Amino acid sequence: MKDINPPTRPSTPRGTSARAKRFFTALIVFLLILCALPNLYPNKNLIQIQASSNEVVSLSLPELKSQLEGEGFKVKQIESHQGGYLVELENRTLTAEARAYMAESNSKLSVKVVSASTMPQWLESTGLKPIKLGLDLDGGVLFVLKVDTEQAAQNKLQSLADEANSLRIKNRYRNLSTPQVISGEQVEVIAKTQGQNELAALTATLRELYPQFTSITHKQGSLTKVNFRFAEAKKAEFDKQLMTQALSTLRSRIEELGITEAVTQRQGTNYIRIELPGVQDPEQAKRIIGATAKLSFHALQEMGGQKLKDKSGAPVSVDPVAIFGGDEIESATAGRDEYGKPLVQLFLSSQGGEKINRFSRNSVGKPMATVFSEYYADPKGEIKRKTEVISVATIQQVLNTRFSITNMQSMERAQELALLLRAGSLDAPITIVKEQTIGPSLGEKNIESGFKALALGLSLTLLFMAVWYRKLGAVAITSLLVNLVCLIGLMSLLPGVVLTLPGIAGLVLTIGMAVDTNVIIFERVRELRRKGIGMVTALKQGYQQAMSSIIDANLTTMITALILLGIGYGPVKGFAITLALGIVTSIFAGVVVSGMLSESLYSKSRKGVK
Amino acid sequence: MTSKTQKARFAGLISGLLLVLASLIAITQKGIVLGQDFTGGYVTVIDLPKQTSQTEMQNKLAELGVQNARISLQNDGSWRVFQTPQSTDETHVKQWIEGLETQWQASVLDASYLGAQVGNELIEQGGLAAIFALLSVLIYLAFRFEWRLAVSASIALFHDVIVTLGLFAITQVEFDLTVLAALLAIIGYSLNDSIVIGDRVRELLFEDQWKTSPVGNTIDQAIKDSMSRTLITSLTTLTTVLAIWWLGGAGLNSFAMALCCGILIGTLSSLAISATLPQFLGLSFNNYLKEESEAAKQQLAEP
Repeated sequence: MKDINPPTRPSTPRGTSARAKRFFTALIVFLLILCALPNLYPNKNLIQIQASSNEVVSLSLPELKSQLEGEGFKVKQIESHQGGYLVELENRTLTAEARAYMAESNSKLSVKVVSASTMPQWLESTGLKPIKLGLDLDGGVLFVLKVDTEQAAQNKLQSLADEANSLRIKNRYRNLSTPQVISGEQVEVIAKTQGQNELAALTATLRELYPQFTSITHKQGSLTKVNFRFAEAKKAEFDKQLMTQALSTLRSRIEELGITEAVTQRQGTNYIRIELPGVQDPEQAKRIIGATAKLSFHALQEMGGQKLKDKSGAPVSVDPVAIFGGDEIESATAGRDEYGKPLVQLFLSSQGGEKINRFSRNSVGKPMATVFSEYYADPKGEIKRKTEVISVATIQQVLNTRFSITNMQSMERAQELALLLRAGSLDAPITIVKEQTIGPSLGEKNIESGFKALALGLSLTLLFMAVWYRKLGAVAITSLLVNLVCLIGLMSLLPGVVLTLPGIAGLVLTIGMAVDTNVIIFERVRELRRKGIGMVTALKQGYQQAMSSIIDANLTTMITALILLGIGYGPVKGFAITLALGIVTSIFAGVVVSGMLSESLYSKSRKGVK
Repeated sequence: MTSKTQKARFAGLISGLLLVLASLIAITQKGIVLGQDFTGGYVTVIDLPKQTSQTEMQNKLAELGVQNARISLQNDGSWRVFQTPQSTDETHVKQWIEGLETQWQASVLDASYLGAQVGNELIEQGGLAAIFALLSVLIYLAFRFEWRLAVSASIALFHDVIVTLGLFAITQVEFDLTVLAALLAIIGYSLNDSIVIGDRVRELLFEDQWKTSPVGNTIDQAIKDSMSRTLITSLTTLTTVLAIWWLGGAGLNSFAMALCCGILIGTLSSLAISATLPQFLGLSFNNYLKEESEAAKQQLAEP
């Protein structure tokens, strides 16, 4: 034997370092078991019923119960909660349906699905939580949205061209050509020889208004040309800003919809992934989330303004630069005017108030247009922009931070517009590129089948290890179980880890592969035993010699798991995370824990034989 | 003089190469059926209260105006309908689902839509990831092993991936994102065996009794030594994968199929290809002599 290791300590180490190592291992295992414990108490979904205003719910408890049961929703438990009720159904998959029913039957109620913990008090006080379930296990709606930053950049370019034209007409720059958007990349203005000063003045104003653009002036014969285009560095910043805006706007829209525990995250460079657990009807959510409605207020301009149409189709010509836009709106509520017509009441920020105040002071008696624009996909799937003047009103008095948009089509439209204005607008069009509705019963089915597979895979593996390795098999079985519990504990502990159906498959696969660590070691040990080496020494050397094979074997899987983690989203990401974490725990359990176990098992039994 | 194991290995090597050839033919001739993740489109999973045959379902859907759909009965009794984004649109999908719900009391378990463009991006991304995964393990191998062993292990790796893809071409089972995940897992897994056996070969080459004997015999011995480990690990992993296939639900079927094939093929190829090829590439103890002495020189050079 070429044993390059120096003669080791006595085979049953009782040194302080060994003891400390044992202590820490036990501590880690204990802590991870604790982290895994909450998974024994899965959250339950409750329907929270409250009055939408600050009143007490007028419905009595028995009434509520009979109303629900009359519709076929079997109630398991109802309790009073903060002036309202919390309802738990017998069949948890019907929760979303019952919520929709309650919300529809009584418009004065605010009805939400909330999840409540079922953990015992002491465990809850530790702040530990069970693993978050992915949509494929929990049911719900998934949207992936594409934020079209290209389109937004195009719009910016067009608005620069419009603004340039408007300035040209307003200031009577007679020696300048009509500004043109060329090949969707730049805006060009051409000046005759005598128009050079006009061009310089126009360029200066535009550069101030549109800091994201650079301008290049060059001469061509007697003509002078100015080209405006996006500055490279500013373009990236512009895109980033659009994404941040889109994310925060979408988050607040979802909040406005009353969906708790939604996940909104960026995916890739210009996608946004939204998971709405517990939602079963995607239609309303889709209308609100996908809306790109924008509101802005414009002065009318007879000459050279932007030509729009109002609802009846009559042309209205407005100043392309808004007096103020949606960003200045701080809050918006739907209501009715004295004639019962729906309206949206706006509260502006102080800045917006100042803008409207300054404008209206000089414009009493003049008209002001409210312009509504939104993006939509035409039947071919191309994004189109629809801009419409929803009202032209005469300014009666100097306006301040509070005023309203009257003449809304319907109360529903007014409410939706108010919601969208509250949550902020989107400058870039967004389109839904993926939509998935997973029924709650499928989620339940997936959990069930996933865990059945896990149970079968685990028990067959354990059985095999027990039969094949007998006494060492006990070590392998313990380390496998420790591995599983540690993995679950780690997954519950780490934020952002979501369990999905492929994730469960990863868990099962990990069990199958984790055996490998023990097998590599035990086969070494057997081999060493055949050479006539004593059990304790064989164990020691077996663990040492097997190390390089174990690390190699796991490293390659780790590499692929990490790559998968980089590209996968949703379910596949769940698989990659489980696989990667599984490698960490299986090395810990297979090498550290089982090493200690087998050492103590054999050192004790040898003493027993003596 | 060739032993029985060597004969078996050679036969395995040849049949492995034939298998790759057959797979390549299948892939190019029949093509791989890409799933919704890569093509975009509409997938609807429906539960029907009564037993229905494939033709009944097809006729019913045709009646409701569904054309060119891929309709399949999944092993948990639910029906899966796949429509490409070109063949239909959202309102149309809603219409036939509603029709089925009212006329046959069907219930929708899962309804999903993916834009075609996203699918295209995913093909690119997925392909890149697979190539990146292959490259990084190859780099790792090159760094870890003598080149003859590294080349053989990577050939075995390509063999595993191609044969698994071939299986998907032959069975025409949809290739989706979970299958890609399985494929990457196979890339990781398939190397395990090759590395463990390769390590063993290297270890034996250094032992006096094997230094002089033909390298084929050394490889035989290495395989014999690691046989029980190879078998046990493959067996337990295969068992768990079969458990997923059998019980894991319809969503994991193609995933489990890919893994199952990958593990089986991967185990065989680690014996027949990655352990056998180095013999033809001229592996011997002398390969290591030079390497070792260079390493030794370097060590000496460093203070």
